[in-house]
Amino acid sequence: MTRAKKSSTTSGKAKPTKRNAAQGKKLFLLILPFLILTFMFSYFPLHGWIYAFYDYRAPLKLSQCQFVGIKWFKTLFSNSTQVSQLIQVMKNTFAMSLLGIATSFLPVLFAVFLNEIKCKWFKNLVQTLTTLPNFISWTLVYAVAFALFSTTGMANSVLQQIGLITEPIKFLDSGDHIWLKMILWSTWKGLGWGAIMYLAAIAGIDQEMFEAAKVDGAGRWAIIKNITIPSILPTYFVMLMLSIANFLNNGMDQYYVFQNSFNKASIQVLDLYVYNIGMTGKSLSLGTAIGILKSLVSVTLLCIVNFASKKTRGETIV
Amino acid sequence: MKRKTLRRLTSVALVGAMTASLFAGCGSDGGSKKASTKNSEHGGPYEDFLTIDVYDSQANFQGIQSGWFAKVVKDKFNMELNIIAPNVAGGGDTLYQTRSANGNLGDLILINADQSKLKDMVQADLVYDMTDLITNCDNLKQYSDAIEACSALADKEGTWAVPSEITSGDPTEPSEASDPTNAPSLRWDVYKQIGYPEMNTLEDLLEVGKQMQEADPTSDSGKQTYMFSWFKDWDGATMQNASGLAALYGYRFVSGFALGKSDGTDVQSAIDDDSAYVRALKFMYEANKAGLVDPESTTQNFDTLASKYTDGQVLYSLWPWLGSGYYNTTDNMNAGKGFQTAVIDDMECLGYGGSPEGKMTNAIMIGSKAQDPQRLADFIDWLYSPEGIEMSATQTGGACGPEGLTWEMGDDGQPKLTDFGVQAFVDIDDSLQVPDEWGGGTWKDGISALNYKAVGMTAKNQETGMCYNYQTWPDYIERTTSALKQDWAEHYGVDQDTTAIEYLDSIGKTLTEPGTNYAVPDYSTDIETIKEQCGQVILEKSWQMAFASDEDEFNSLLKEMQDTCKGLGYDQVYEVDKENCEAQFAAFQESIDSAK
Repeated sequence: MTRAKKSSTTSGKAKPTKRNAAQGKKLFLLILPFLILTFMFSYFPLHGWIYAFYDYRAPLKLSQCQFVGIKWFKTLFSNSTQVSQLIQVMKNTFAMSLLGIATSFLPVLFAVFLNEIKCKWFKNLVQTLTTLPNFISWTLVYAVAFALFSTTGMANSVLQQIGLITEPIKFLDSGDHIWLKMILWSTWKGLGWGAIMYLAAIAGIDQEMFEAAKVDGAGRWAIIKNITIPSILPTYFVMLMLSIANFLNNGMDQYYVFQNSFNKASIQVLDLYVYNIGMTGKSLSLGTAIGILKSLVSVTLLCIVNFASKKTRGETIV
Repeated sequence: MKRKTLRRLTSVALVGAMTASLFAGCGSDGGSKKASTKNSEHGGPYEDFLTIDVYDSQANFQGIQSGWFAKVVKDKFNMELNIIAPNVAGGGDTLYQTRSANGNLGDLILINADQSKLKDMVQADLVYDMTDLITNCDNLKQYSDAIEACSALADKEGTWAVPSEITSGDPTEPSEASDPTNAPSLRWDVYKQIGYPEMNTLEDLLEVGKQMQEADPTSDSGKQTYMFSWFKDWDGATMQNASGLAALYGYRFVSGFALGKSDGTDVQSAIDDDSAYVRALKFMYEANKAGLVDPESTTQNFDTLASKYTDGQVLYSLWPWLGSGYYNTTDNMNAGKGFQTAVIDDMECLGYGGSPEGKMTNAIMIGSKAQDPQRLADFIDWLYSPEGIEMSATQTGGACGPEGLTWEMGDDGQPKLTDFGVQAFVDIDDSLQVPDEWGGGTWKDGISALNYKAVGMTAKNQETGMCYNYQTWPDYIERTTSALKQDWAEHYGVDQDTTAIEYLDSIGKTLTEPGTNYAVPDYSTDIETIKEQCGQVILEKSWQMAFASDEDEFNSLLKEMQDTCKGLGYDQVYEVDKENCEAQFAAFQESIDSAK
């Protein structure tokens, strides 16, 4: 932010020449697609918020539906059962987000250790194999999970055949340890992808520092501890703060595919709750109302984190 | 310099490509959908070849219809059917919501007309008024009363929809051909092995189940057998399989959570301690405790279940058509193995009477954006013609197929199955190849995926007096006489030709719901929201109850379900449901009175 200010003041002093104007136009054209993208996918959909203030029912047009003001917002808090359902959903959301943040150091460690591998082809192989799961959709991940862990899946068959268990273990259709299971799945899927950012950060560290440390007789551990990790910490903090701003956005894909009657109570995060109410439960207006509240809370969180960042590190993230 | 120009060009090209790609997804449905190619070879009145999008709420197949039925449609109407099936897509009403909100459900729409659906769709301009299109449709003219009654639901002048399963005759008589829709069906050979123990009430099935599982511990392929196996595909606001058990006592969900007895004597609230639904859940819980329930029940879908029936892994069938449809092949039946309907002393199996004005729960309409509505009206007219009824109908509905391929008229005026027909209907040969002149492919794949019954299951061709359902033909009955059926008939002391429904009816074990044209109204959005929320709670808890680890857990889950639902406003929903249920009862009475 501060740097941007400086440059704008310097260029402000310079007289705008024809050449500069042409250059500006070109730069604008370059950024145009992204502006359009942002507008279309981030701002344009906001007009859908209007549905929260109507008694909307598909397939009617909005003009054929009644305007009801903030009725749906009130419905959310209309009785204690609604509220306790919402609290349960928030509990799940917070738990998944907190667990996500608690495990966010894993990609850092993974990147650091991967960087220590000197055998290049092996390093590339590991990196490719761990990044690939990120590109598999959750639906396919669930198909794999089902093949492995259903009551007649591989895991149960093997355990039964070697005589460890007689009754199949219900891996998928039970609510026990569901948060832990979910975080394991998402770690498996996201570890390699999450490490890419840190690998890039490590590559950006000045090589002279490593050389100097080596000359000074530092071992591997000492280099990791004193150079690598401190150098990528700023990146880590930015990622951490972004994830705090995204506290309420767990996404729903993963929980949607894994949900069933037995784990629903502890797996239903906010995004999934909105889907279950709006799409499955045919109450699009109420679903939209919850969505709006969620966005407001998210924006507030982002502002708080941004403010905290400015105070503590002197840098803002937005 | 050259390099710079190149770079500039590349960047401009990239910008262009990205901008273009932004808009690529937003165009119309694209050229491929309504690809209309001139078909000069086609001699009929329909010049352009069309691909028709069919939104079909009952279809269990998604994609382009193939095989012999596709050829019939292509030859007659120069079009192909692209079936869009919410059943296959999953997610309940999601597909309807998104497509209807988008303003185009499909060119042909097969969906329920009640619950304000037709009214909403007409109001949202999704349905085409076919008044002028059907003036020359001779087949539809016969059903003008039914069409009028159904279209009246739209609350707007016009001809909007044609209801399904229009049945002439007494609405209080069963419309099913051989078994009631709901009846306890067992692996008869195993039941015989354990000495036909008598069953006085539903819970006696548990003891019978234990003995049957002991008597036949492994399936044909050597897998472990189970008495019961459940599945979740058809769940709505309640657990469908539990409702299936409640139907053995004449109860069904008439509206939302109101469980009505179909003789019009009793309305129950689904979640009450003593409701037929909770009794069914308790039964499922006890069956699971006794080790009678397939552990895969919680995760499997209908297809998996069906393959288990084929292999003989499941010994009880909630509906007669399920067990017998997948296991009673000629080979099995001749070996004395197969499903037959058994008697539980206090049961009142729910069956359905015919509806002279058709069923509002499934109707056919033309979409407002259809390219050639006249052709679609002609197609609908054809579906209601004798030929159309023979050829379409459903996989399990028993339509006899095209004349000349599966059957031919005998000299005595009675229809007879051809060799091909025998292979298709008696041997249930899945890989049966259709001759090339009929379009090739397998018989099974070529069956109409519309899953639409224009007329009732026992309707007759008015000219020839022939029943469209081959299962009632003397020729078919003779061919399927087997050791299994003989044993069943002997045990109950009836004669060989007696169908299960005739027998059960004669001893008063059936409850036939009179056909009516009553259409359940829709909820207001407030009630709908509460209903959906309660439904999600009930469904979730029902499954947990059926698989509870002990009685205490079962009871506490039940209490939790009741408290949460009540807290969400269940009583408001039930009040509306009860009213609807009573209106339905009044309609039953009206129907009975008019039949007299």
